[in-house]
Amino acid sequence: MSLDYVKFSSGFEKFMPKEYRDMVEHGPFGKKVSVSQMGSFKEVLEEHPMCAGCAMTLFIRLAMIAFPNPEDTITVGTAGCGRLAISQAAIPFVYGNYGDQNGVASGLSRGLRLRFGDKPKDVVVMAGDGGTADIGFQQVLHSWFRKERFTTIMLDNEVYGNTGGQESGMTNRGAVLKMAPLGKKFEKMDMLQMAKVAGCAYVATVVPNNPRRVESVIKKAVLIAREVGSTYIQAYTSCNIEYAIPTDKVMEDAKNVENDRYQFSEYITDEAKQFLTERYGYKEFLPKPAAPAPGLPKS
Amino acid sequence: MYLVADISVEICAAKSCKLCTQYCPEANTILYSDEMGKDKGFKYGSAYVAVDRCKGCAQCVWVCDNMAKNNAIKMIMIDQLPVAALTDNITYGEKSTTAALVSPVVG
Ligand SMILES: Cc1ncc(C[n+]2csc(CCOP(=O)(O)OP(=O)(O)O)c2C)c(N)n1
Ligand code: SF4
Ligand code: SF4
Ligand code: SF4
Repeated sequence: MSLDYVKFSSGFEKFMPKEYRDMVEHGPFGKKVSVSQMGSFKEVLEEHPMCAGCAMTLFIRLAMIAFPNPEDTITVGTAGCGRLAISQAAIPFVYGNYGDQNGVASGLSRGLRLRFGDKPKDVVVMAGDGGTADIGFQQVLHSWFRKERFTTIMLDNEVYGNTGGQESGMTNRGAVLKMAPLGKKFEKMDMLQMAKVAGCAYVATVVPNNPRRVESVIKKAVLIAREVGSTYIQAYTSCNIEYAIPTDKVMEDAKNVENDRYQFSEYITDEAKQFLTERYGYKEFLPKPAAPAPGLPKS
Repeated sequence: MYLVADISVEICAAKSCKLCTQYCPEANTILYSDEMGKDKGFKYGSAYVAVDRCKGCAQCVWVCDNMAKNNAIKMIMIDQLPVAALTDNITYGEKSTTAALVSPVVG
């Protein structure tokens, strides 16, 4: 993979759709783009059938802008809403059976290392809360215990959205859904704690109403996974259909949920801090300069 | 007919914060032009909507009203817009885009 895989052979340019030409000529490949430039460059994500106003769509859009090297990235997904958009991007996408995604990504990431040696090829899994915490739970946990070097992103809409509203392990206790009419009887699973216990080098929570933060955590997670170990991001990406959120209130809901149960949190091991600092010039983990000595108390 | 987002150049260009470009769930739907509004004497450009990609969710309206506090975006029936931007008529430059506005219904 490289920028070359999207370029057209000479002479074919005029037959390509405008969107494709724009993507080759004004896309993010081979450049650094950031969320502050959104609206000014052609994104790798194209049109797709996810619902109007879906926060998961926005998150996927932001994630693809945040990938440090989109031309050297492969996404892995599974059944669920997210793959409807993730597959419509100029980034190779591997679709596992439902729940297989972290097993598929383990093999893929190892194979890429054998084939390309030290040249980083990033593998990023994006799957729903059902795919990650229920059906794919065993493969997810084992990939973390094995310290597989790729990023797992949970698109947590707290429901099985694609199949019409069953409760998942990530649904909150008491939530009433179309196919959980009596309300969920158990607590939301603490996947963040499990990720730490299983040895992930970086664990963060985000909501899409803070695009710069989404960008920052995804960059860190992908970079750390290149060498240090597994990384996990849990993103609140509401399902406006199953939770009946009016589409123009989706960001208001994200803000409320952020204040309620999705406050920003970031866990990073010392090894990962050192890696980001030494390899990628991150300054935020450097020791803070000692505070100036306090002046003599006034008498 | 259906609703799409419409950005008032006069109101947007006075603030031009670009927030809505970061919150629309759809890629390359709210774009930004450095040039739009210059002819009306504004220092900065304006955001605008490629209406053929807009799904009508009105999230951008909430963002402009409540976060940018600028009330520049309204939802309008697509056939009530005399002219609008369409993907086919958008040109990407180094740091910004330009759009030739046409009738969104006739194309
Ligand atoms: C083995 C298997 N069982 C069941 C399904 C049906 N199925 C498709 S998507 C889905 C639920 C997806 O829920 P989640 O992973 O939370 O993603 P969301 O759609 O909410 O984003 C199910 C059960 C399937 N595709 N494969
Ligand atoms: S069903 Fe829910 S999660 Fe799926 S695309 Fe629609 S709003 Fe998004
Ligand atoms: S949020 Fe409002 S003021 Fe800011 S760029 Fe968008 S339309 Fe213009
Ligand atoms: S209405 Fe929704 S899809 Fe259309 S421009 Fe606004 S945020 Fe984007």
